[in-house]
Amino acid sequence: MADRRDVAAHPVYRAGGVTDADEQSERKFIERLAQRDERAFNELVELYEARVFRLLLRMLGRRDEAEDMAQEVFVQIFKAVGTFRGDSKLSTWIYRVSVNLCKNRMKYLARRHSEGEDELEPVAERAALDEAKGVTFGDVAQPDRLVEGYQIERVVQQCIAELDPDFREVLILRDLEDLSYEELSEITGLADGTVKSRLHRARSMLKANVERKMGEKIR
Amino acid sequence: MSDPGTDSSHDAGHDVEGSETATAHEPEESLRSMLRGALREEEPPPNVLAGVQKRIRERSKGKFYADGWSTAKHPPLNTYLVTSLLMLAILIISYALLSPLVGSPVPVRNQPVPVQLIPH
Repeated sequence: MADRRDVAAHPVYRAGGVTDADEQSERKFIERLAQRDERAFNELVELYEARVFRLLLRMLGRRDEAEDMAQEVFVQIFKAVGTFRGDSKLSTWIYRVSVNLCKNRMKYLARRHSEGEDELEPVAERAALDEAKGVTFGDVAQPDRLVEGYQIERVVQQCIAELDPDFREVLILRDLEDLSYEELSEITGLADGTVKSRLHRARSMLKANVERKMGEKIR
Repeated sequence: MSDPGTDSSHDAGHDVEGSETATAHEPEESLRSMLRGALREEEPPPNVLAGVQKRIRERSKGKFYADGWSTAKHPPLNTYLVTSLLMLAILIISYALLSPLVGSPVPVRNQPVPVQLIPH
């Protein structure tokens, strides 16, 4: 029904420059969803599955968990779409549902981990990090530095995983998903100023943690 | 609006950080590029539609996505067409095979039989 070209042109998917026609089209689309139109829901999944999966993968750090979670997010959206009143954009609401479910899953995984089951991927080996000192992503153009670059990636991934979910959430939504502060505010349910201060703290913590593990300042 | 899985621990008006001074800083580009590099996608995202449809079908006990037709991405026009033609062909073949066996009805002549009276 909707191929890649259709998806790119879909008013619900298109970023920026929202017109009245787009809003009307989105409203009709939401009405179809609220009436439990299965084909409309198929369209919705096709439109958002990549974005939802990417967000969850960044939050959870595991592909299998992210895929399972993405399916669960869409099931919950199917159940709750009748309650969506259109106060925010549909995409913002979907992000909000995704983030909330993801944080619940992270708490569950953390509980399981604390009970003894290791749910995390093996972390980067400390010995290998010494060789990666002083390497930034800008330096990874040379093939002989690729391995070092890979090690930095592992350190950064590890540091992100160590961030508190509330900080990780704003960092990913702003710096990786490129959402506005207003959207962040709607998704997290926090005041605008709180979002900004939390984001600042998240960046500071991540930077400090990476620098501590790398042994020198980020250039 | 009620959101599934809402995390009630973060109320906009009661967050402990709400009192902090909002210090909006533009992202440090090196940190941002480092993040993007570390969390870049290497594999394409999976197709979750089939899994979502299966979960909804199971949890709604078949109320939604009840059959194979409705779970298809596109209306299965070819399947409908092939099935119709196949059924038509079967009917024609059946008729052609069975019609010779069904001949015209043979007329039966019933001769009147004389009645014999039994004397007492």
